[in-house]
Amino acid sequence: MTSEAIIQSLASGLLMGLIYGLVAAGLALIFGLMDVVNFAHGEFLMTSMYAAFGLFLAFALDPLASAPFVAAAMFVFGAVIYLGLVRFAMSASANAGMVQIFATFGLAIVMRGLAQLLFTPDYRSIPHSWLGGKTLHVGGIFLPAPQLAGAFVSLAAFGALWLVINKTDFGRALEATREDAGAVALVGIDKKRIFALGWGLGGALVGLAGAVLATFFYIYPDVGASFALVAYVTVALGGFGSVFGAFAAGILVGVVEAGTAFILPASLKYLGIYALYLIVVVVRPRGLFGSL
Amino acid sequence: MLATHDLSTSYGGLIALSNASIEVKAGEIVCVAGANGAGKSTLLKSIVGMERPSSGTVEFLGERIDGLAPHLVTQRGIAYVPENRRLFPRLSVVDNLRLGSYLFRNDADREAPMATVMRLFPRLGERLEQRAETLSGGEQQMLAISRALMTRPKLLMLDEPSQGIMPKLVDEIFVAVSAIREAGTTVLIVEQRLTECLEIADRAYVLQTGRVTMSGTAAEIAGNAEVRKAYLGL
Repeated sequence: MTSEAIIQSLASGLLMGLIYGLVAAGLALIFGLMDVVNFAHGEFLMTSMYAAFGLFLAFALDPLASAPFVAAAMFVFGAVIYLGLVRFAMSASANAGMVQIFATFGLAIVMRGLAQLLFTPDYRSIPHSWLGGKTLHVGGIFLPAPQLAGAFVSLAAFGALWLVINKTDFGRALEATREDAGAVALVGIDKKRIFALGWGLGGALVGLAGAVLATFFYIYPDVGASFALVAYVTVALGGFGSVFGAFAAGILVGVVEAGTAFILPASLKYLGIYALYLIVVVVRPRGLFGSL
Repeated sequence: MLATHDLSTSYGGLIALSNASIEVKAGEIVCVAGANGAGKSTLLKSIVGMERPSSGTVEFLGERIDGLAPHLVTQRGIAYVPENRRLFPRLSVVDNLRLGSYLFRNDADREAPMATVMRLFPRLGERLEQRAETLSGGEQQMLAISRALMTRPKLLMLDEPSQGIMPKLVDEIFVAVSAIREAGTTVLIVEQRLTECLEIADRAYVLQTGRVTMSGTAAEIAGNAEVRKAYLGL
């Protein structure tokens, strides 16, 4: 075990962690905004990956170039899911919490089924993207170019998100709704509009993540499941509903995963993450960065 | 400006407000007095649409507003400061204020009311970057009133602004309410503390177990023997 191998492992973990953070951002945003866990989050990611794949087939657009379009489409998709499904689930007269869970869980099953029907369960990949297979060689360590680009997209997305939340009227309304959704009407804000935009923003973030992943990961109907599991752990670690907590937790998850794979057989690479998760749940149930 | 006609609201069979008819004319301060549970808060909530009245109507500027969603009532020009204030606790004072003017797109519409509230409550100006939750009860009430004023309302409705506040600040708040009316905003206050409220009000109503049992000028109500005994402790 050379120090170089350790640095290599840390660097790969860091890149992947930034992408995990981006995958989890939308989930954290929506949960923080309205206490709804989107159990179809993984399927949102799967849909985004297929969208990037489709744009590649149709227009030979590289996923990095189509990422803004995928994000825009997923913004609309997220808002439509809120307006057409979640809104009604939230206004259920009894057991609204359970109804929400079943509504998004059911949505996940439907989306997965549709993907199998439309795209078959075959594994797809984008054969020759701009960065596919390329690596950057920096001071003795190798950085895969697609992951590096994904990490930069993640940083840019979180930077933009920070600006939106802290510097715009919409961001302020988002924070206010998250604090007390019942009170925003007092200043004339329609909370349902903010909820719809929140779902849109969450969809756009996962859309970016999907486009990034499409450059180096297989695309198949169940692809969302494993990423979603990591995303739930990331959100829980970061502190439920904290978007920037998810960012930090994502990095941590990536590094721990890489570290575990470094020490243990690759098949056990999730062991470290779940062990970390268990420890945090026991020692600090509100998450590492949660404020509640 | 505002009129409720036979407004009734109940919570799961329990009648909180029964055939309440009140009127607020432009430029007035109207005080609605009553003990705990008399239906004062329910009256305000029913006006802004946070409670659905079972019967009766609410008219504002000649148009029916009962049945409108609360944010639309705010947009029509009624700013409501609820009993528990409902500030955004982890946002700064200035962000709470800015949210008040969320609906305005140009700076002039935002700066004018900001200047007004800074003049009314200078102590908020010293705490602009503090989180709302770190303010004292009185300061939070000032912030809640200020946030409401940022929406540039035609009618300001206050639910027990004196509650949980030290006496010195209560006076400050009532002085400010007078100034708000002088500046052209009509005010409807619901209060348990009648003395202060009647001092600044033009007219008053008394609510008892959900019904309007008395109405008149502030002086008439203040002089009424029953009111003096029941609410003023005289």
